[in-house]
Amino acid sequence: MAKNFHEIRDPIHIFIRLTTDERHVVDSIPFQRLRNIHQLAMSYLVYPGATHKRFEHSLGVMELASRVFDVVTTQDNIHTKVRELIPEISVEGKLIYWRNVLRMAALCHDLGHLPFSHAAEKLLLPDGWDHERLTVEFINCEEMKKVWDSMTPPLRVDDIVKLAVGPKKLKSVTFTDWEAILAEIITGDAFGVDRIDYLLRDSHHAGVAYGKFDHFRLIDTLRILPKSSEVDESIEPALGIQEGGLHSAEALLLARYFMYTQVYFHPVRRIYDIHLCDFLLGFLKDGKFPTDIYELQKLSDTDVLSEIWKANLDEGHPLNDIANRIVMRAHFRRLYEKNPEDLSHNPHIGKVVFNEAQKAFGSENVRSDSYSQSGDISDFPVLRNNGRITSSYVLSETLQRLPVASFDYVFIRPDLLKDGQAWLEKNLENMLGMVEKEE
Amino acid sequence: MEDIKKQVVVLSLIESMKNSGSWCGETHIQKSVYFLQTMLNVPTDFDFILYKHGPFSFELRDSLGEMRGNMLVESTSRFPYGPSYRSTASGKALIERYPKTAAAYQKQMEYITRHFAGLGVAELERLATALYVTEKEGHVSVEERAKKINEIKPHIPIDIAEAAIHEVEKIEHEFRLTA
Repeated sequence: MAKNFHEIRDPIHIFIRLTTDERHVVDSIPFQRLRNIHQLAMSYLVYPGATHKRFEHSLGVMELASRVFDVVTTQDNIHTKVRELIPEISVEGKLIYWRNVLRMAALCHDLGHLPFSHAAEKLLLPDGWDHERLTVEFINCEEMKKVWDSMTPPLRVDDIVKLAVGPKKLKSVTFTDWEAILAEIITGDAFGVDRIDYLLRDSHHAGVAYGKFDHFRLIDTLRILPKSSEVDESIEPALGIQEGGLHSAEALLLARYFMYTQVYFHPVRRIYDIHLCDFLLGFLKDGKFPTDIYELQKLSDTDVLSEIWKANLDEGHPLNDIANRIVMRAHFRRLYEKNPEDLSHNPHIGKVVFNEAQKAFGSENVRSDSYSQSGDISDFPVLRNNGRITSSYVLSETLQRLPVASFDYVFIRPDLLKDGQAWLEKNLENMLGMVEKEE
Repeated sequence: MEDIKKQVVVLSLIESMKNSGSWCGETHIQKSVYFLQTMLNVPTDFDFILYKHGPFSFELRDSLGEMRGNMLVESTSRFPYGPSYRSTASGKALIERYPKTAAAYQKQMEYITRHFAGLGVAELERLATALYVTEKEGHVSVEERAKKINEIKPHIPIDIAEAAIHEVEKIEHEFRLTA
């Protein structure tokens, strides 16, 4: 007798179980393509173990998405107000449908990633394109549509797209409260399972402990809650937690902060992304990835790595210099990194140092990178033991003090580093006074 | 509008709200900027979609994150609400370095502050959603717009939605009279 459920071994979740329909998705070309896309681009040049791929991450996100769904839709866990506002949550047939949609959306949420994931996505795609838009294209392709149509009941493609991509990237689409919460289960800034899986998985493979936290306890205490129980406050439903899970939520948000500072924004990892982007600009036709998914799926990390290797060995190759920086670790070095003291004098000091360094050493010899974490991830509803609902921000001193991960790096060609450091020492004071003013 | 000038507008709004005794949470900033941009023609060009508590801009959220990262704003707690924003000394200094931008929209800023500084999230949500629906479906009757609001935000009853639409029309009308 044919099996209806299948298991895959996984280092993070031990077993990932999937249905035959889900296995059809896993066995498709768009999904198998993810076996050749590194989750953390070239981070393995800094953390050698970080060679894991989007493939296993996507399986993990599917596994976690339904764990969360099962907890928040358990009838005893549903808040009275939420039951009134989201009638679907009490209808068994609808819950079965949406659970299937959620798992498929979670499985497919990264289908549109370019080779090497996020590295330089903005520069390497035409205007108006990003990996989310490519994900929508893949979910809509003929091969996948056959799977959606063959299911009982058939899944609506638009529903899968909504939950996989979320409201941030589907600006023209209106989400109901229910759909917004289901999308938040996958893509949410605070409790999204995409983030939960990548923190745990990246931490495991990079060999750092920073991304680990008690996700079992966290998931067990997640609830859909009205935003507040105060009179005259909004009761719009949102993903929150029971009071007993507050420490595990703090641990998740701290894990996120530490992984950003220690792994994702490690300066050497960032400069490798920049060198990789430089290489791809020369390697790709017209310096862009194709947006036709059938053309895109012909390209993977393997093709790019092979070309980088060849270019490094061939001194006559037009991309030899860039390839050499990647393969032989001759990457640009960190010249400057913004810090609280400098920021107190000049809030745009990173940009100023970059512009001035370009003037001093030539734009081809200086590069920059910056990022700031967005949003009030530390503000979510907490169902207290006394039945009231209060903002997590008020209840947790840890969340009030959670720093914002924010970086501004300036890099310089390695042989110019000493001169650059001397130049910086001489000119930093002056640059701190170069504040922008309105004419 | 250049990013730095957008930041000056947001910082000026936070200053104005704080000076009026507002709690000034993210919802105050989101909905006030939406009104400034949509009703009072302040050209901040943030992209708003219907999301948390009505119209919401992820770009504005990112901009607030960047301002926190650059120590232009900071957040504090005020029971029983969530984070409350205030500008830092660097944020205030940036406003001073952009006097034309700050002055150009001062009237609109004061007007929105007068109406929104003391409101809670629920009222901000109702008014901003009413403006959003009116912008999208201004040609239909108040009753139909109220039904639409209730359809997309079921926790806002139809009678409350109708009142919010009338309130938004009044806010706009009064501003036009003083302009």
